[in-house]
Amino acid sequence: MSDQLFAYKRENGRWGLRNHVLVLPLHSALASGARSIADASDGAVAISHDWSGEVDSDLARILFTLTGYASNPNNYAVLFLTIGSKEEASIIEGAKALGLTRSTTLSLLELGSLEKMQSEGLLLANNFVKEAKAQERVPAPWSAIVLGLECGGSDALSGITANPALGVASDRLVELGATSVLGETTEILGAEHLLAARAIDPEVGRRIVAMVARYEASINYEGIDIRGAQPSRGNIEGGLSTLEEKSLGAAKKAGNAPLTGVLEFGEKPVTPGLYFMDTPGHDIEQLAGFGAGHINVVVFTSGRGTPTGSAIMPTIKVSTNTPMYSSIPDLIDLDAGTIADGVETLAQVGDRIFNEIIEVANGRLTKAERGGHHEFALSRMYKTVIR
Amino acid sequence: MSQPIKGFSHGNRGAGIRNHQLVLPSVVCSTHVARRIATEVKGVTFAHQHGCGIIGDDVAGIDNFFIQLADHPNVNSVLVIALGCETIQGQELAAKLLKSNESTQYRIIQESGGVEGTVAAGVKAAQELNNAFKPASVDIASLRIGIDVGRNSPLVDELQKVLTGAGHTVHISQSEDSSAVSFSHLAQEKAQLIISLPSENQPTSGFPLIPVINVAGIGVLHQAIRADFDIDESQLLDGILDLVQSVASGAQTVSEKNNSGEIRAPRVVRSV
Repeated sequence: MSDQLFAYKRENGRWGLRNHVLVLPLHSALASGARSIADASDGAVAISHDWSGEVDSDLARILFTLTGYASNPNNYAVLFLTIGSKEEASIIEGAKALGLTRSTTLSLLELGSLEKMQSEGLLLANNFVKEAKAQERVPAPWSAIVLGLECGGSDALSGITANPALGVASDRLVELGATSVLGETTEILGAEHLLAARAIDPEVGRRIVAMVARYEASINYEGIDIRGAQPSRGNIEGGLSTLEEKSLGAAKKAGNAPLTGVLEFGEKPVTPGLYFMDTPGHDIEQLAGFGAGHINVVVFTSGRGTPTGSAIMPTIKVSTNTPMYSSIPDLIDLDAGTIADGVETLAQVGDRIFNEIIEVANGRLTKAERGGHHEFALSRMYKTVIR
Repeated sequence: MSQPIKGFSHGNRGAGIRNHQLVLPSVVCSTHVARRIATEVKGVTFAHQHGCGIIGDDVAGIDNFFIQLADHPNVNSVLVIALGCETIQGQELAAKLLKSNESTQYRIIQESGGVEGTVAAGVKAAQELNNAFKPASVDIASLRIGIDVGRNSPLVDELQKVLTGAGHTVHISQSEDSSAVSFSHLAQEKAQLIISLPSENQPTSGFPLIPVINVAGIGVLHQAIRADFDIDESQLLDGILDLVQSVASGAQTVSEKNNSGEIRAPRVVRSV
């Protein structure tokens, strides 16, 4: 392994593990234009989303998500595509306040047509890409790593192989002074007491218990018992019996480090340590929350396998079982199924995951990055039915 | 109506004014693979964020929404691209679609060798569908037209009269903020064509399966981006029948040329 980290130094002490030029549409009608610009460019990335400027109960959550995502330190620069509304302007101002230093805003109102926006946007994106490629990585401290811990398509081996192995890697990074963030409230339901017991002070412990209770109440409010709806059908086919069993396995991703704090959806951690973030278990909404919370590298464990990636955060995927790793070779970066096969120990796989995180942080591309997987989804709390 | 429109006979889906092959991702996780297949076979697909992490009434609601899109008259055949472990199971969705239309296939990423394997298998399946289901030409005497009303316009009643007077059936959907949810509603009503009068604060938008004629208002934004619209409101009553005739006969609307159109499915419960 390389024992030195090299990253992109940002203004105000932030570190990027990638130097992305993000084309960010701030209205859904501009999403296909953003995608066309990124596809035609020399390496810019884009996301799509379905927010059309609606001012409703989810507005604050959506503005917070897009503001945080735009200011993620993995972004060298952002090209904002707007229709010219004040909500869009507040996102751009907010992103600058959170540390985004290079951005250009294209306004449909000023340009006059989507076609013009695409041609102007391509030139601007390519200029940014040229600048970004000229910037070099420099030696960085371990605190530059802000790791996100995620699992999806869990199976009966998740809590025995990939998740505890990821816990080993997470513990080592936290010990070195990095930050590690566990997400997915759905997936710690029933295991929150174990995390609360590791809290650095009673207040943090109380907050994580309250956060999980708030989450369950928001589901029960809809008249649905989440403990009946989870685990999902895919999980059950994978051998999981109850939500609690799934949660006990999922929480192992966070190892044994003390719990430094809890974060709201998309909130960024300010000091190093282990955190919990309140996100849905929906993998893509959850990744959007991580991006908004300035996480710069993600490890995603999976029992069933998924192509999922992020436009801005390298996402390392780890399989819980060897048959899945062998059957879908272009989706998974590392196999932790070797633990169940008796080929490797937990500590050995933990080492491999740790080393992979460092290599990827230093620039090695993940399979999702090579495949161009840029899924994105906004998390909403309220209904969107037609009146 | 002046002359019948040459459309496409799409089996139980009805007669369409477009001949789209729909590559339908059953979950957000398969949208990228679906796009790669659709690009290769010149089919239609769309990004969405649904299919998993859903509970309660949303499970049946989203499932039904996908079925309605797949059964749309502008669709010739459907290839469902599933991940495998999602709530909306691709093979079950395909089984429901097959009950009304044989021109349906599905491929599952977790069972097709990953991304590259699924892209290759999906392209092959899409080509098989295209070869097996060639649509016959059919005369369409009257269209189902959806009107998306996003702004207060005194012309809506008159517009409806002009269209029904020409023999068309009209379905109206009010949209207060953006047109996206309204379009989804009109798609479920099987509108073959949509006329959209977006809010003065909103730009034009499209829908992947349905040509949308965007009507410009008199406000600052709409007049500034007039090039993105198909017609001005002041020309609407005089010009709409000719425009409908031409678009229904194959002329692309501006939003079709721009390839614009994201889909937002109606939801009743938060994601979990």
